[in-house]
Amino acid sequence: MTTLTRPEQKAPAAPRRRRGVTQQQRPLWLLTPGGVLLVLVVLIPLALAVYLSLLDLDQYTLRRWIEAPFIGLGNYVESLDSGLLHSIWISVSFSVLSTAVTVPIGIAAALVTQNAYRGRGLVRAAFLIPYVLPSFVVASVWRTMLQPDGVVNAWLAKAGVDGGLWLSGSKSYWTLVLVEIWAAWPFIYLMALAALQSVDHEVHEASAVDGATWWPKLRRVILPYLRGPVLLACLLATLNHINNFTLPFVLFGAPAPDDVNVMPMLVYVTSFQGLRFGLSAAMAVVSLILIAIPLYVYLRAVRLDVHEEGGRK
Amino acid sequence: MSASAEATRLLPRPMLVTLTVLLCAMVLVPVSYIVLASLNSDVGVASGEFWPSSFSLESYTKIWTTADLSTGIVNSLIVCACTAVASALLGTTTAYVLVRYSFLGRLTILRGLVGLQSIPGTLMLLPVFVLFSSAGNYLGLTVIGTRWGLFVAYLTFALPFSTWVMVTYLRGLPRELEEAARTEGASTLVILWRIVFPLSLPAIVVSGIFAFLLGWNDVLFASVLTRPETHTAAVALQIFGTSQEGGALPVYSQMMAAALICAMPVVLLYLTFQRYLVGGLTAGGVK
Amino acid sequence: MRKMRAATALAGATVLAVALTACGGGDDGGGDGEGKTLNVLIGANTQYPEEFQAWQKDISAKFKAQTGAEVKFETFASANDELTKIQTSVVAGSGPDVYAVGTTFTPTAYSTGAFVKLGDEQWQKIGGKDKFNPATLGISGPDEQNQVGIPWVSRPFVMAYNTDLLKAAGIEKPATTWDELTQQAKQLTKGDQYGLAIAYKDNFDPWKFVWGMAAQAGNPLVDGKTARLQDPTVQKAYETYFGWLAKDKVVDPAAVGWTNPQAVAAFAKGKTGYFMLTTTTAANSLNQGAVKGKWKFALLPTVPPGATSRPANGVEAASILSGDNLLVADYSKNKDLAFEYVKLVTDQDVQLDYYKKFGNLPANAAALQSLASDPTLGPVTEAAKKSVATPFTGAWSDIQLALTNVAVQSLPDLAKGSISTQQIDARVADAQKAAQSALDRAK
Repeated sequence: MTTLTRPEQKAPAAPRRRRGVTQQQRPLWLLTPGGVLLVLVVLIPLALAVYLSLLDLDQYTLRRWIEAPFIGLGNYVESLDSGLLHSIWISVSFSVLSTAVTVPIGIAAALVTQNAYRGRGLVRAAFLIPYVLPSFVVASVWRTMLQPDGVVNAWLAKAGVDGGLWLSGSKSYWTLVLVEIWAAWPFIYLMALAALQSVDHEVHEASAVDGATWWPKLRRVILPYLRGPVLLACLLATLNHINNFTLPFVLFGAPAPDDVNVMPMLVYVTSFQGLRFGLSAAMAVVSLILIAIPLYVYLRAVRLDVHEEGGRK
Repeated sequence: MSASAEATRLLPRPMLVTLTVLLCAMVLVPVSYIVLASLNSDVGVASGEFWPSSFSLESYTKIWTTADLSTGIVNSLIVCACTAVASALLGTTTAYVLVRYSFLGRLTILRGLVGLQSIPGTLMLLPVFVLFSSAGNYLGLTVIGTRWGLFVAYLTFALPFSTWVMVTYLRGLPRELEEAARTEGASTLVILWRIVFPLSLPAIVVSGIFAFLLGWNDVLFASVLTRPETHTAAVALQIFGTSQEGGALPVYSQMMAAALICAMPVVLLYLTFQRYLVGGLTAGGVK
Repeated sequence: MRKMRAATALAGATVLAVALTACGGGDDGGGDGEGKTLNVLIGANTQYPEEFQAWQKDISAKFKAQTGAEVKFETFASANDELTKIQTSVVAGSGPDVYAVGTTFTPTAYSTGAFVKLGDEQWQKIGGKDKFNPATLGISGPDEQNQVGIPWVSRPFVMAYNTDLLKAAGIEKPATTWDELTQQAKQLTKGDQYGLAIAYKDNFDPWKFVWGMAAQAGNPLVDGKTARLQDPTVQKAYETYFGWLAKDKVVDPAAVGWTNPQAVAAFAKGKTGYFMLTTTTAANSLNQGAVKGKWKFALLPTVPPGATSRPANGVEAASILSGDNLLVADYSKNKDLAFEYVKLVTDQDVQLDYYKKFGNLPANAAALQSLASDPTLGPVTEAAKKSVATPFTGAWSDIQLALTNVAVQSLPDLAKGSISTQQIDARVADAQKAAQSALDRAK
């Protein structure tokens, strides 16, 4: 990742039509604190991780890891052979699915708390709870609720449905999606809520005067304001789902059923239970690359980052 | 309800009520399970009871000795609050530069920041630890086991996110005010402090909340970067999940009680800050 | 104006800094003798938290009196948590001085080469090898000359049975062969009552059954550099283990989803004859339930399934050698202190005290001997002596994982009520592959 090249040293871009701001006045130095932090805490360790992925690093060589044999792309070859692609596929599909469901829920939640009413503060706080509970608590709670003789199956039985196994076999995938949705929708909610605040009061009034009914108003007037933040939220939420390790780990344990052997589980088990750090680093790097490509395409397509001159009027 | 409040209502009332009830039920059913489980016995929870066969508040007194929860909560509050404030401010300044000025590499930085979000934590754990501990060995700087170390780690992980939230928000802000101030000779810092920050409070609060929760819920890094006296609430909570191989029951009801107690400060913080979430622009006086 | 802002910013930064630094850090002091701190990593104890704190305080005081140095305890929540901590510490060459490590993980820890190998000098320091129950030394190292683990506590596995239910079914004494157990379980199963409580979904239990049955039939699973998972003994073990649920129907069908805690809870309700694979630390939980006062421990069967007596090459493996070993980190700057600590906590009176507080059996031979007269503990102390070590290889954790994975992937079939020999064969073949490749990499 060659992102954080010192911007100051770059050739100056053509000045835009902006009065009173010259090249010299661009306060690019404001980027340094963040830049330094990212280089120190993320990029250097990342480089180290990539280096580790080229070593035959396991429990036998861990102590003198600097002397661990260099095996080039050996780990990468092996990683492709160890079910990694299957895991990545599960991770990605599970993440996209979770995001797709959480978006409408989150937006709806933001819309219903838009107007003040008695007790709104409490409702808003309640909406935050799933997000505030640590992942492993959420996972433990759902695991006990979903065990074969647990609460969920007891309720389903009353409705005449046989719940069956939620935590093993093919249904475990849907369990993972369900629990992730439950835990993650407040993220979208908060992003949408913040975005709703940027809608000018006059916009509301204008459309009210027009006598627009709620749906056209929502779709044509309000939702466009949410587009940017929500698209961003989708992106970040999907990445968070992909990298969520605690939830599947506590929910299903290791070794996980094949249907929920998501990428972080595989990486974790390989490195911290199988103790093959080199291999697991290679797996993580492969998945990083596989995720980064669609990510880049997405970013270009939604044009989130494109400079909008003058902001919204 | 005044007419202006009526104007901002986005959904028809019946739908609003239905949706609110549904959403609340979705959240509150599992949460009430947690509450009930915290009052139940461990055997009861493990065998899948919803309604406890016996109620007891014992767990709420026991949790404080089972794990050093109070130290954990204090540490978490300090570290996470600092992370939240620092990342929101740093994120805003970074985003401000990225939004208001164009320079070569701007898009690369923006996209790279998202890229950073996709790095799995499990990949970073070992290298970050090696780096932090070698800072101790070579620079004589103790990082492992201090709140500073944790703060720096969380700040960095939160930064790409806060920057992005601020970028999307700041882009929507009109720049007239800033330009007016600038023609009056105000420096960038003054503009940031007096104009940009107040106007973007809702987004700042949101990014602060996320940064806060990032640290609050992290176990992976906290468990290796802290020592007993600097451990965080999440690490202390983890203790309640302990189950011995082939041995005793985990203390489920204490775990639920502790989780609720740990959620409390965050919910309270949110309740105090949520008024800033509302109407930054409308109330802020962009005129 | 500008000054004001600068002052505010400065004040803000100061507050941040102070808040973060305040009473944090406080790291290991340097210097000699006095003022040194020994860091010890041990598992958290949520069953007896107050006693646990009192014990730590007590040990710290004793240690201070003997050596003048402090002991600082760090706790870990789970085996995974500890593994992570060990690995990061080993890589960085800094961390706790003494680790309490589970027996089955000791081979893996040994293979990192990051722990002090115990020579005569070290054994002398901690009071000699003779002070330990000989069986517990079985998993201290690959051979006598290369030992790293000092036995600290034993947690041999046994089974618990419901005395009332067994009596009602006319069973005089608990089973001693697996076939007998199956037979009794059938007798015990009626209505809402089941013969066995088994945690099929547990991540640590399943392989212990398979290893135990195979070892009793003469297959230790690892033979030098060869994995022996594809073997009739292993096949038979899985068949028996799954059969209880799928074929014999002596287990609650819900057990497909149970981890050990749920099995404990099920047995505690008093509607199950046997609770397989448990240990002394479960006593507290069992006494919380309806089964209180109506249960006893018994030795797990030691005659392999399908046989009435153990074959000549079979091992009387009553339990895996289970418990905790103490390991001293190679990078430690306080090795002498570390051994002083180890000596202290393996002494007879400290060990007995630890047993009384937490129910972990002593590794100290004299201390264990003094408990043998306790009738309720009889089976457990016997199991401690009849424990057999799992193969000592760095590949063991992978083999364990592979064996468990066979069970994990079979759960959906098990839930449907039938599992075929072919299905088991295919999964065991995968496990064999994984185990062999781990052994191939072992150095």
